[in-house]
Amino acid sequence: MAKRPPITNRVKDLREAHGQMSQSALAKQIGVTRQTVIAIEQGKYSPSLESAFRIARVFGVGLEDVFGWEE
Amino acid sequence: MSFREKTAWVMIVILTGAGLWYFKMIYIASSAMDAVAPIIPAFLVGYVLLIIIASIILMSMIAVASPEEADAPADEREKLLQDKAGNWSGYILGFGVIAGILHYSVNADGNLLAQLCFASLMLSQIAEYGFQIWFYRRGV
Repeated sequence: MAKRPPITNRVKDLREAHGQMSQSALAKQIGVTRQTVIAIEQGKYSPSLESAFRIARVFGVGLEDVFGWEE
Repeated sequence: MSFREKTAWVMIVILTGAGLWYFKMIYIASSAMDAVAPIIPAFLVGYVLLIIIASIILMSMIAVASPEEADAPADEREKLLQDKAGNWSGYILGFGVIAGILHYSVNADGNLLAQLCFASLMLSQIAEYGFQIWFYRRGV
């Protein structure tokens, strides 16, 4: 298994808190595929800074409310 | 399974099938010559045509099944994993070519060198799609 990046995220929680937003809907809003959203949620992929900002903006929160650093 | 992962599987099947056909023909020609056959243009053209025709037919079938995904450009993760898969498969090509050159330096068989280089190219193409599937599933 590929080594997971030490970056955590709350994308799934935020998505569910926003009216059960679907992975496809989020993917469309940030300009990636649904598979990429799945990979982000599972911690298999750390999005680019641009996509990270896009995700935060979709949920109307700051970057650090979505992503964290696991020591 | 995403559209691009499906296309990677299809390409593995097509490239493997075409490669097996090509080397079966080369094996037959080599047996008749009692030596390694050279690159035969007719087989080479047949190999390329087989890939093109099979790709068009099978890719069209997959694209019809998921037209939205087929139209969408690769996103940042897909570009990254495609680049990484291309990089890794390059090592296979390099290894095969160097092995062929070393073999040539000892045996001076130019036909074998050419076939080894071509086989390395085929293998690296197949491996590239294999690595893509690996990265799609395991993360990049």
